[in-house]
Amino acid sequence: MTRERRVAADVAVLAALALYATPLLWQLLTSLTPDATIAAGAWPRALSLEHYRVVVAQSPLPRALGNSAGVALIATALAAGLGVLAAYPLARLALPGRRLIMLAVVLSTAFPAIATVAPLYLVVRALGLRDTWAALVLADASFALPLMIWLLVGFLRELPPALEEAAFVDGAGRVAALRHVILPALAPGAAAAALLTFLFTWNEFLFAYTFTATEASRTAPVALALFPGVFEVPWGDIAAASILAALPPIVIVIVLQRHLVRGLLAGSLKD
Amino acid sequence: MIARGERRFGLLLAAPALLVLGAVTLYPVAHVLALSLQRRVPIFGVADWVGLANYAFLTRDPAFWNAARVTVVFVIASVAVELALGVAVALALHRQQRWRAIALALLLLPWCLPGVVTARTFEWIYHPTSGLAGAVARRLGAGAPNWLGDPSLSLAALIAADVWRTMPFVALLCYARLLGIPGEVYEAATVDGAGRAATLRAITLPLLAPVLLMVALFRTLDALRAFDLMFVLTGGGPAATTETLALFAYRSLFQTLHLGYGAAVSTVVFVLVGATATLYLAAGRADATR
Amino acid sequence: MPGERDPLPALLREFERLHPGVTVQAEALPWTADVQHQFFVINLEGRSAGFDVLMLDVIWVAEFARAGWILDLSDRFDAAARAEHFPSTITAATLNGRVWAVPWVMNVGLLYYRRDLLARRGWAAPTTYEELARQALALRGEGGIREGFLWQGKQYEGLVVNVLESFWALGTDVLGPSGDVLPDPALAAAALAQRRAFITDGVSPALVTAADEEVSRREFGAGAAVFLRNWPYALALFEAPASPVRGRVAITALPGGGALGGAHLAINAATRYPTQAWELVRFLTRPEAQRRIGDAVGLHPTRPALFESPALLSIFRGARARPVTPWYQTLSATLQPELSAAITGVKPPARALDDARGRLRYLLLP
Repeated sequence: MTRERRVAADVAVLAALALYATPLLWQLLTSLTPDATIAAGAWPRALSLEHYRVVVAQSPLPRALGNSAGVALIATALAAGLGVLAAYPLARLALPGRRLIMLAVVLSTAFPAIATVAPLYLVVRALGLRDTWAALVLADASFALPLMIWLLVGFLRELPPALEEAAFVDGAGRVAALRHVILPALAPGAAAAALLTFLFTWNEFLFAYTFTATEASRTAPVALALFPGVFEVPWGDIAAASILAALPPIVIVIVLQRHLVRGLLAGSLKD
Repeated sequence: MIARGERRFGLLLAAPALLVLGAVTLYPVAHVLALSLQRRVPIFGVADWVGLANYAFLTRDPAFWNAARVTVVFVIASVAVELALGVAVALALHRQQRWRAIALALLLLPWCLPGVVTARTFEWIYHPTSGLAGAVARRLGAGAPNWLGDPSLSLAALIAADVWRTMPFVALLCYARLLGIPGEVYEAATVDGAGRAATLRAITLPLLAPVLLMVALFRTLDALRAFDLMFVLTGGGPAATTETLALFAYRSLFQTLHLGYGAAVSTVVFVLVGATATLYLAAGRADATR
Repeated sequence: MPGERDPLPALLREFERLHPGVTVQAEALPWTADVQHQFFVINLEGRSAGFDVLMLDVIWVAEFARAGWILDLSDRFDAAARAEHFPSTITAATLNGRVWAVPWVMNVGLLYYRRDLLARRGWAAPTTYEELARQALALRGEGGIREGFLWQGKQYEGLVVNVLESFWALGTDVLGPSGDVLPDPALAAAALAQRRAFITDGVSPALVTAADEEVSRREFGAGAAVFLRNWPYALALFEAPASPVRGRVAITALPGGGALGGAHLAINAATRYPTQAWELVRFLTRPEAQRRIGDAVGLHPTRPALFESPALLSIFRGARARPVTPWYQTLSATLQPELSAAITGVKPPARALDDARGRLRYLLLP
């Protein structure tokens, strides 16, 4: 294929992908369209930030964004911390029952949330953790932790088997070898896994909807689902709220895409 | 001695994670099974063991079978369309020579969104009078369908929204697999005089097949568990035409107050997912030995 | 409380003045009933004394009473005091012979109609749904009238309310006197079939199957329909200066009576201040307070003595409580998809009710 035709084809693919993203772009456009124009069903002549102003100043969404950030960061940190500690022996040490444990971990990434939500609800209720971040972090751990372990085991297996040996030869103990040799080598993979986990915890809906009762702990997806509309449905405001609730995921995809893809592929093609 | 110390060290490291994991995954699953054998209404303090009564009712509950039917249709249609579209997009991406990063970013945007955002977006697009879908339909002379309110259209509308957000994942995985196919394979084919379509049929697709199987199973898992999109977009309506097993389980658990019956439905979902996951793992192992 | 001029803060400050040493904090809950209900369930289950007095939707009183979350008020709220309220509001607050809440504000389903159109034909307002359907079909098409009868058929609580009103018009109900489900299935199926027929016969437009209070009100308020079933709040909006139907709308009772809506006040069983809480409940439900609230927010008092218009009084007297059972949530959640299936034509009405009955027999425990 000639160079010009190749460039044209490449542009065509990009255009097709942009077309595919139309729903999202439409929501973005709606969020910038004044109410009167939306009601009239016309193309906007001038863009306006009024919906964003309303959402930021008058809706529960800003607080919900804060809740989402807090819960997602803490859940990811917890999953990463515990996950690294568990992944290392599972990947590179002679842990008894290793195969079985790995199988259990992999299977538990597939657990449907609907199956675990009722007992977790009873636990949250019994512990008096209703309407708190702790309840959500706990519930999110049910998928974040196994996911982290699975991904990290994959990344650890990629590292050269003799990596620790070199450290032992130098007289380092096991813990030191872990800290100074394995962890730095694992860092890029761990970052990719953390990104993916953060994304999934940010987007999580079922647990967040069931365990929260007020704005004190409602996350962004729940706030968006319950977006106030006493009489009329405020499509413009909802569109603005949607874009805001989707910002961290969008930023991750655009800015940190390489790491994200790495995490995605690691989880899906390996075993 | 090294081995024993290593085992102890490993156990020590792994213990916290495994304990937490057990507490938030294994324990709830056991508890759900136990709940499904009870008549349990927490707010009224009702808690009686009734054996398999919930499951017996489930087998003759028309609402359950409706949810099962909707789930089967949803999963098969969704996964089939995603795979077809995803492979096509992967092939196009594979031939892409420049701006791959931009292409991937554009591709992943629909996938990364919270399900609620996708639901609200499509709710607006499907609006009967002011929605984009309606405007397009009017242009094509198809009138003004009530996408989410018409029982004959609602499931298709839901499937379209779900395919939109999940196809990128399929495309990405197939694309990664395509990258792993050595260039020499294609060179050999062109030397033999094979055209594009023939190459596709005889070489690319067979090499993609194992990945496609795994992706299909993986996506089936996700489709079986999907909740946020349909909950916010249709709530299972109209008339339960979009009520999947997951939504039906939720309604039984938290809207009809019967935790026991809801647990039985959840267990069914769990078993279906477990069976699919086991198939996925077996396929993965078969693929690894290829 | 919805509405701009919220009278509650003023009332609470007045209460504090009358009871020195007591301060009252009001917390407004989110607007949607489902969200309010979830809030209450999560907080009351924890048996915490987070709040003392709660405003409950009429359909929650029996459930909360059975769950042990609210105080038995039978002794404080004696027979004489109860007689000052509409009987249906007391029925809604009674479980097992005990009274658990005090009626605060009231709503009743009623029929709005275009009196100008009916007057032109010399017709009186319909007293049965058959008559309503006939009149609607005859008047449809004249002078901008696109639709005959608008009601709420979206799959939510409103649908149950509308269908219940059809049941009542034909003389049956969802629960029998001894709590049996659908005591007269044939009659109930006929009532449900009549609702479906409204759509297939063109009495009602297809949009009712996705319509709630606001969608239907908006359509009627634009002058597009002859009849509307809705709550009383809409009248003020129809009589607003810029309304296209100003001066042309009248109200009458629904055939068989309208459903009771509104809210009661109850006391948290875990309260540390039962006496003060009871004083507050008594204060907020006395005639003066109810009148102020009614005037400000478009809801009505629960005391017949406060009604000036005899027509309105008789409509409110005809209010019927929805089935008073702790299982109302279960009942409604099970009925909604089945009723929706019937009115959208997915299932024949008889089968929809049969399926509902089967499920309810399993789920409704004594």
